[in-house]
Amino acid sequence: MSHLQLHDLQLAQGGRTVLEHLEGTFEDGAITALIGANGAGKSTLIQAIMGMLTPIAGRIDCDIPRERRAWLPQELPLDLTFPMSVEELIMTGTWPSHGALKGYCGPHYRQAREVMNRLGISSLAHRPLGELSGGQRQRALMGRTLMQEAELLLLDEPFANVDRETVEVITQVLRDMAANGTTIIVVLHDLEQLARLADCALVLADGHGRWSTPAELIERQHGHPMPQTKPILPFAFPDPS
Amino acid sequence: MLAFLDTVFLVPFDYGFMKRALIASLALSLAAPPLGVFLMMRGMSLIGDAMAHAILPGVALGFLLAGFSLPMMSLGGVLSGLLVAGLAGSVSQMTGHREDSAMASFFLISLAAGVMLVSVGGSSVDLTHVLFGSILAVDTTALVLIAGMSSLIVMLIAVMFRALVVECLDPLFLRGQGIRSGWVHGLFLGLVVLNLTAGFQTLGTLMAVGLMMLPATTARFWSKRLEGLIGIAVILALAASVGGLLLSYHLSLPSGPAIILLAGVGYVVSALLGRHHSLLAKHRHTATPLDTGEAG
Repeated sequence: MSHLQLHDLQLAQGGRTVLEHLEGTFEDGAITALIGANGAGKSTLIQAIMGMLTPIAGRIDCDIPRERRAWLPQELPLDLTFPMSVEELIMTGTWPSHGALKGYCGPHYRQAREVMNRLGISSLAHRPLGELSGGQRQRALMGRTLMQEAELLLLDEPFANVDRETVEVITQVLRDMAANGTTIIVVLHDLEQLARLADCALVLADGHGRWSTPAELIERQHGHPMPQTKPILPFAFPDPS
Repeated sequence: MLAFLDTVFLVPFDYGFMKRALIASLALSLAAPPLGVFLMMRGMSLIGDAMAHAILPGVALGFLLAGFSLPMMSLGGVLSGLLVAGLAGSVSQMTGHREDSAMASFFLISLAAGVMLVSVGGSSVDLTHVLFGSILAVDTTALVLIAGMSSLIVMLIAVMFRALVVECLDPLFLRGQGIRSGWVHGLFLGLVVLNLTAGFQTLGTLMAVGLMMLPATTARFWSKRLEGLIGIAVILALAASVGGLLLSYHLSLPSGPAIILLAGVGYVVSALLGRHHSLLAKHRHTATPLDTGEAG
């Protein structure tokens, strides 16, 4: 049984149909890559799944409650001048389920510390958001998603403009989340990341969607089977000794 | 020495009108600065000014219908403020114009309408009173109304605090949770209107914004944390209120401008000497060394 299914879906933006006859099931605990050129309708589909865009026809069956759906857009309109620390940002992940009125208590703070540990940003807990690098900010935002205990996670190019270490950390966190049953949909452009991360792929082109597997896509692109993923180069200064 | 301090700080408040003025301005000082901090954080510092003009026609209409009755004038003020905020919001939504341009147009219309109404129905003394207030003429009814409105504002800010924070920081997160950020925004503007209405009796419609914005913009030079900003802004507003009233008593100055000017002095001094972003801070080229500061 899947928590998220598309049934003959038609979506439009500004009176123009962007996607039609979209069918399919997003497997629970699987990472689905959403692939397509700019304007192919990736963001439109994400908005519809988040419940921010009403379909023209067809329907989206999603029995995950709204407070357990999380979305990390690529260009988040985040006000970085706002005086908020990393820990406070992560704590806002609790309030969709915890309510806007109740204060935070001990277990929340403990959970936030665990989340920051997992993402390797414990030392940044009290750093203002405006002073973070792109990768650190992305990890903090992932932290909010973890606090939210999202069951459906939508990510738009999570690896754009972030450092290698952040890519590693976020990849591992996404893998762990999927292993715990979270349905993850991630917009990707990079074939290497597709190979490393995704279990299946939904390719959007010419207003239609086609389901595929990362292996098939990479084979078509390269003309040969999936390459061995490159070893990660350690980014550190050489040991002086 | 004690006698001197007593004469300077306590004797003025033996008078009933000074006591009421003090309580009214302290109540406003608790409610206005948090709103100012959020307005500032949302890049809406001038919206407070616009809203102050927006309440004017309602106040004037209340004055024409019921004479100098604060409840009626306040009711009129709240209604016209909400109407203008709603109109500006819907015009910007319908036409796609930015909300600030719609707001600017409506507040000018409101200002003209308000001044016209008071001039037609009253005297220039009444106009001065509405525009600039008279904190020393606050009676018990006015005091109850001001304290009641201020308490309501503080309680509502506490209730919607987290929603306000999230809406400032990341409106998309709020939308994703199925909460329309317009709702939070509207309620927030409603509180601003309510606060300005509470303030117009004491400081006048035009200067009521001062107690909201000046402490908030001043606090920016002293703290980088939201709690710090709000706490410092409230303390500054309280200090400006007490100091302004004392100045006005001892030097026979009008009380409203004295309070706001004192807050203004605080702003200028902070801009020069504050801990963050001030002129002094910009010239202080120091940084904590890597190994003693937080790792990062």
